[in-house]
Amino acid sequence: MTDDGTERTDGGLAGEEKTVTDPASRTAFQRVRDRLPVIGVRPLDIVVYIVYGLAMVFFAFPVLWVVSASLRPEGELFSYPFRLFPQEVSLSAYEQVFSAGMMTWLFNSTIITVLGVASIIAVSVPAAYAFSRFEFRGRRGLLGLVLMFQMISSVIIIVPLYTVMTSLGLIRTRAGLILLYVGIQTPFSIWLLKGYFDTVPRELDYAARIDGCSRLQTLRHVLLRPIAPGIAVVAIFNTVLTWSEFVLAYTVLGTESDLHTISIGIYNFQSQFGNDWRAIAAASVVGMLPLVIVFIGLQRYFVKGLIEGSLKGQ
Amino acid sequence: MATADQDGLVRRGFGRVRGLSRRLIDHPLPWLLPTLVALGVFQLYPMIEAVTMSLTDESLIRQGSEFVGLDQYTRLLSDPEFYEMLRITAIYAFSSVILHVLLGLVLALAIDYGVRRGLHGHLTTRVSVLLAWIVPGIIIGLVWKVMLVETEFGAVNHFLGLLGIGPIPFRSDPQLALVSTIIAGTWRGTAFSMIMIYGGLQRVPQRLYEAARVDGAGRWARFRHVTLPQLKPVLFVTTVLVTIYALNTFDLIFALTGGGPGRATQVLSLFMYEEAFEKYALGRGAAIAVVMLCINLLLTGVYLYMFDIGDEI
Repeated sequence: MTDDGTERTDGGLAGEEKTVTDPASRTAFQRVRDRLPVIGVRPLDIVVYIVYGLAMVFFAFPVLWVVSASLRPEGELFSYPFRLFPQEVSLSAYEQVFSAGMMTWLFNSTIITVLGVASIIAVSVPAAYAFSRFEFRGRRGLLGLVLMFQMISSVIIIVPLYTVMTSLGLIRTRAGLILLYVGIQTPFSIWLLKGYFDTVPRELDYAARIDGCSRLQTLRHVLLRPIAPGIAVVAIFNTVLTWSEFVLAYTVLGTESDLHTISIGIYNFQSQFGNDWRAIAAASVVGMLPLVIVFIGLQRYFVKGLIEGSLKGQ
Repeated sequence: MATADQDGLVRRGFGRVRGLSRRLIDHPLPWLLPTLVALGVFQLYPMIEAVTMSLTDESLIRQGSEFVGLDQYTRLLSDPEFYEMLRITAIYAFSSVILHVLLGLVLALAIDYGVRRGLHGHLTTRVSVLLAWIVPGIIIGLVWKVMLVETEFGAVNHFLGLLGIGPIPFRSDPQLALVSTIIAGTWRGTAFSMIMIYGGLQRVPQRLYEAARVDGAGRWARFRHVTLPQLKPVLFVTTVLVTIYALNTFDLIFALTGGGPGRATQVLSLFMYEEAFEKYALGRGAAIAVVMLCINLLLTGVYLYMFDIGDEI
């Protein structure tokens, strides 16, 4: 720091005014930097604020731009001058999307997500209980297998999927897709729930057993409450995954347009409307809105689940 | 007399059923059965089916198929196109991993610092980053299609125009198209690395920082000699998970470029999809799936090794 700096801190603001007149020894940057401690800001704070600003622009702008693009009247998106916000708000793009079958897609996605998430929880809670509370041969190996299935991408099975689902009689059915999601998504849920079960002391189980509770009653009356946050996390997670999933649904549901989910519907919509960016933007907004609403309300649990589900044992 | 006998029988029958169900409930199998069935039918069976299919010349448009041994694999391995796809996949995955982990680290550090210092905006930043992550893959492809419109009316091209650059053909130039998919992938995936690393930062014992401070370590020295070594396992695990994730990316690229222009952004998963469902060569598609499965298993092995699963289970 230069002599001016120490002079200014001693002399306060009045001293600073004087030193400003000497541009040769102090650049604008230095002046700002020297002033920072006075208002309680460290130089590193500024760097961090810049990181925040850039991150918000990079991550939030695309979503906001799509919202803005979707609200334009026809033609405004491609006329001078370029506008960040629509000059006049029009919902015509949304009308176009809804007349293309958006209600059907929303209905299918909702029913598949609700039933899918419920089934995943129904299957993974008992399994997580077993992994946490039973000692049996092959337990480690089985848990390792579950973890392995969690790691392997579901994209790999799309080639045989048509044959497999046909032989099971589940091709082009919602039930088939839901069962498929149960198979694909339970490993992660089991892993996460087992962590919650493990945090509940076994003494609680023993006490309940002495009082005459069966395992099922113990689970229902004693364990369900402490693991409820885990079930919530599993529910949020699987809601996002199921709602967003594309390639499995595309393969299983095929050309049966009555059964199409939001991702398939929007994909087909955009291949059909090619360069109608306004309509594509409107379809995107409708497709992500339900998740955004769920997420903004529950993001704290989401973060917790992500850390706990992926980083056990660290 | 007869009814009393029947009553007794029924009662004994019920008793036996109850006893059986009680014994069953004390056995882990019934608890695990639904999971085992689901995993067996919808994960294991399709994987085995993929392996069997890859040994045949099965096609979507022809009845019946013949066993061809390892023909699909030898043909795949002698096909220069396959190596081109591998190269594109490797570029995509490698750049994604670097960007995800680096951006994730910077954001995690910035947010951690902001929380400790009580700065404004750390929550908004976190929510913005996570928001990008929950957008469905297909829609991400479309969002970036709208962002990267190639005339001066596209948002990105407009701002580049203000700087005197462009308009840039983000999706029709082969090399830029690959860059665009990497940017869109980073937009989605950074949240995951950020959260993982942020979680790791919370587990660094504060006394290490205090000890370093007592020893006169500056901020950079503390980062270099305390934070980074403590984060090493988290960074490694994150890298492996992001690699697996990036190698299997499908929906985002499918919607953004569809693998084009030409085959400039055709990663392995899209290559597999095209061979199986657009060229109807199921056998060949299955062979690519098996190659992808092997890569996945290899990386999973690395992950499990790092995880030190022996302690956990």
